[in-house]
Amino acid sequence: MRMILRRIGLYALTAWVAVTVNFVLPRLMPGNPVQTLIGKLTGQVTPNEIRAIRLSFGMGFHEGLLAQYGTYLNQLAHGNLGISITLGAPVSSILRESVPWTVGLIGVSTVLSFLIGTFSGAILGWTRGSRFDSLIPTATFFQAIPYFFLGTVMLLIFGSNLHWFPVLGAYSANVTPGWNWAFVGSVIRYGELPVISIVLSSVAGWMLGMRNMMITMIGEDFVLMAVAKGLPRRKVIWHAARSAVLPSIANLSLAIGLVVSGALLVELVFNYPGVGDLLLQAVLNEDYPLIQGIFLVITFTVLAANLLADLVYLGLDPRTRSEAAV
Amino acid sequence: MSTSRVDVGDRLERHGATPARESTPSARAFVLEVSDLSVHYGVDANMVRAVHDVTLNVRRSTVLGVAGESGSGKSTLVYALTRLLRAPGVISGGQAILNVSSPDDPTQVTPVNLTTASERELRRVRWSHVSIVLQSALNALNPVRRIGREFDEVLRTHRRSLSRSDRRRRAAELLALVGLEPDRLDRFPHELSGGQRQRTMIALALALDPELVVMDEPTTALDVVTQREIITELAELRSRFGFAMIFITHDLSLLVELADEIVVMYAGSIVERANAGELYAAPRHPYTLGLLESFPPLHGERRELTGIAGSPPDLAAESVGCSFAPRCPFAMDRCRAESPPLAPLGDTGRSVACWLHTEHSVVPVPAPLARRWTVPSGPAAPGVSR
Amino acid sequence: MKTLRLPRSPKVLLGLGIVGFFIIMTVVGPWLAPDNPSSTAFPALLGPSAHHWLGTTSLGQDIFSQLLVGARATMVVALVAGLVATLLSMVIGVSAGYLGGVSDDGLSLLSNVFLAIPGLPLLIVIDSYLPVTSRSNEFVIGLIISLTGWAWGARVLRAQTMSLRNRDFVEAARIIGESRRRIMFTEIAPNLLPVLASSLLFTVLYSIGAYVTLAYIGLTSTAVWNWGTMLYWAQANNAPLSNEWYWFVPPGTCIALVGTGLALLNFGIDEFINPRLRAGGLSSRQRRSLGLPRRTRLGLTPVLRPRAPRGAPRRNVVSS
Repeated sequence: MRMILRRIGLYALTAWVAVTVNFVLPRLMPGNPVQTLIGKLTGQVTPNEIRAIRLSFGMGFHEGLLAQYGTYLNQLAHGNLGISITLGAPVSSILRESVPWTVGLIGVSTVLSFLIGTFSGAILGWTRGSRFDSLIPTATFFQAIPYFFLGTVMLLIFGSNLHWFPVLGAYSANVTPGWNWAFVGSVIRYGELPVISIVLSSVAGWMLGMRNMMITMIGEDFVLMAVAKGLPRRKVIWHAARSAVLPSIANLSLAIGLVVSGALLVELVFNYPGVGDLLLQAVLNEDYPLIQGIFLVITFTVLAANLLADLVYLGLDPRTRSEAAV
Repeated sequence: MSTSRVDVGDRLERHGATPARESTPSARAFVLEVSDLSVHYGVDANMVRAVHDVTLNVRRSTVLGVAGESGSGKSTLVYALTRLLRAPGVISGGQAILNVSSPDDPTQVTPVNLTTASERELRRVRWSHVSIVLQSALNALNPVRRIGREFDEVLRTHRRSLSRSDRRRRAAELLALVGLEPDRLDRFPHELSGGQRQRTMIALALALDPELVVMDEPTTALDVVTQREIITELAELRSRFGFAMIFITHDLSLLVELADEIVVMYAGSIVERANAGELYAAPRHPYTLGLLESFPPLHGERRELTGIAGSPPDLAAESVGCSFAPRCPFAMDRCRAESPPLAPLGDTGRSVACWLHTEHSVVPVPAPLARRWTVPSGPAAPGVSR
Repeated sequence: MKTLRLPRSPKVLLGLGIVGFFIIMTVVGPWLAPDNPSSTAFPALLGPSAHHWLGTTSLGQDIFSQLLVGARATMVVALVAGLVATLLSMVIGVSAGYLGGVSDDGLSLLSNVFLAIPGLPLLIVIDSYLPVTSRSNEFVIGLIISLTGWAWGARVLRAQTMSLRNRDFVEAARIIGESRRRIMFTEIAPNLLPVLASSLLFTVLYSIGAYVTLAYIGLTSTAVWNWGTMLYWAQANNAPLSNEWYWFVPPGTCIALVGTGLALLNFGIDEFINPRLRAGGLSSRQRRSLGLPRRTRLGLTPVLRPRAPRGAPRRNVVSS
């Protein structure tokens, strides 16, 4: 229990740091970009909207820095992330539409990639020295390819040339969004290529990590004992793999951030209506409230995923459980 | 070849998984017969010869002690003969035969050549006929499994007919043998004390009533009191169930308490082999003498501990002469030129690889060795309790 | 002091070759470029030809020149970021591991926070606030990338330092009365070398990815040619959908190759740090000639058979 409380504390602190970075950055930068932005907007939007923008940055009128910070936190606590400059709508409602797509796409790909990578890594580690080893340089190559580039190549080959997969967007224009089979089927169909791209880019990392841990575990006495006990090979591998997967899961919380970062750009390649695509628009238009809102939402989501990974780890490793009991 | 076979006259050509056949007298008498076993680490120019030409036999229901410093090849030997030695270890010669007796008729014995056996044949004899206890039980038990599951797994694999509750009952029985409560079955290894963990390992090793249990320094990591208790328990269990044991340790005085026969290894070879009591009372090899004087006996009078100066040789280097010569206080010119074979010592039934004790040796036995022989001897002297 | 001798496996050699090639390209690339990468003097969207090895962009720029010139900015940013991040992680990780106590708690917390924040989104936020002049400066970008990339290395180095701290030679230095700083930098740092090298490779790898990504979404100055900017223009002009592979495949492949080279080198270092990862020491040819199986199975120690031809077995006969 203590371990989980500590992790929650860490994540709360991290969340606070992210929130504060958002507040401090605009004020640190030379020329105060927000002030410039508001100047640019005057005349284009109503004074009420400008007020809302200022509020969301914590820039009330002629207040001290601390009071500004208070205003900012207060706005945030009420879920007010400001108003998007380009879209003219509240950032929170814009995000409400795109976040589910991202969470679905990246969540599914990460889980798939972790499972496939861990499984194949265990096999690779066990059969070290066999011809499977020649997979390693290939896997390394895939690991080094930027997610968005691999996505682009996949799109080119399997989407626009071979027409195996539909491209661009999250579902066909011919279906009505909602809980009907046609729509769900279409979402799955359109999700295939992006998911495959993300899995291909990220699977090598899990695989190589698991392979190394597996090799390390095979060097442990208890695995040798499993052999000495005359257990069937499958059970011996299980002995080693069960322990080797623990560091992989412990690293999951570190890797989620990287995977999410990479995967966001895959959305962009496939015009997937998720946060990644939104982020690009926001960056191109210097839509600060939107950029900041996206940053916060991504950070919070990643932290939640981290916590989940920690809970899984706790469930799998009895040693941490009893340490917590002490 | 310099090897001598002391115990077995009839040499048998055997191959793995020979179908049941007429049991020879030697197969009935010995649970394990190892001949000329050599082990290398690596096979190229950098190879290390860890064990060479070792021949030994383990008589049924007896304890064979294997003593030597770390690096003497004693662990390598037993891992190799059970085929558990890890890469880059390679068996480069010799064979090891396990004489497996059938559970229905103990007189019916099937020899299994471990050095030619397939993975499947090995799997069949492992744990049901030969089990192992390692030095660190903490490392040998899977850290993320409850103790009960280790027992359950072994019983389920080798005793298919047992039901779940039967297996649980059997596990509790086994723990009771080593004085542990059945509630330990629901614990994780890290929740037990060092002594409890090692007892668990011993109980686990006895789970299938094996004919041979290999103990690789099982008590080295424990405190002296626990060590003492476990040795006593082992002696009791052995006399109750009649399994044979190979007990590896660097602590020769411990072996004197427990073992029937002792082989002393140095630099990958056996340098002396004798009945435990005789070895203690009258060591012949200077290295044995050194080992005996490095440890206090578990009980008995205190003695000054002298130990052995120097360190074991680099096995990667080719050496001429006796490998112990550089450290031997009694080394002669001959020792540096010629390697002594392991030869029988008259009719005593023991053998030693030392130029001091050859049949036609004209060299007088050095005083420190001889002095020890005058200690009131006889098999009962060190108090072998059984 | 331990020297870092990498195992001379094919993997490591290949890695060295690849990384070496791109380092040379970084140095001489801009001089070798046949044309000004920004010049729009050529016809648009030519396919690869003898004149334009990799064709031209939709603005009529020579892609091969862009690739050569772009290598420098990409590699410089990656190196700057990698070096600064490794320095940061060394200072923070080694201090935390060596000092222990409250300093350790504080520094560990700091690195854990940086580990938990997703790096790229943070990078995008910071970068989007940068004035355009700073965005074209490789060093500024490199510094910012290093800010988001040091935490992992710090964590690994802290763990390594903690295990070194209690070794005999450090203890000895402490008893002699050497100053803490001296012990830290002369006794501990050299022994951290393999971990440090691995951490440098990792951060350089991360930095290339981060820089290229920033460029790809248009957050670096488009006036500076790098591989990411090339991809940005290719994507902006719909090259992937129009089958203009020669526009975006070369820069992407270069990125992947550099990354592969670094990762292969890292394998060597991993095997140096963790000996268990090293192969059994026998080449497959040796194994075959000795009649040994291609790989050793756990619990099936190989047995040399006497029929093995010349070579090692003869040595076995040497008796003692």
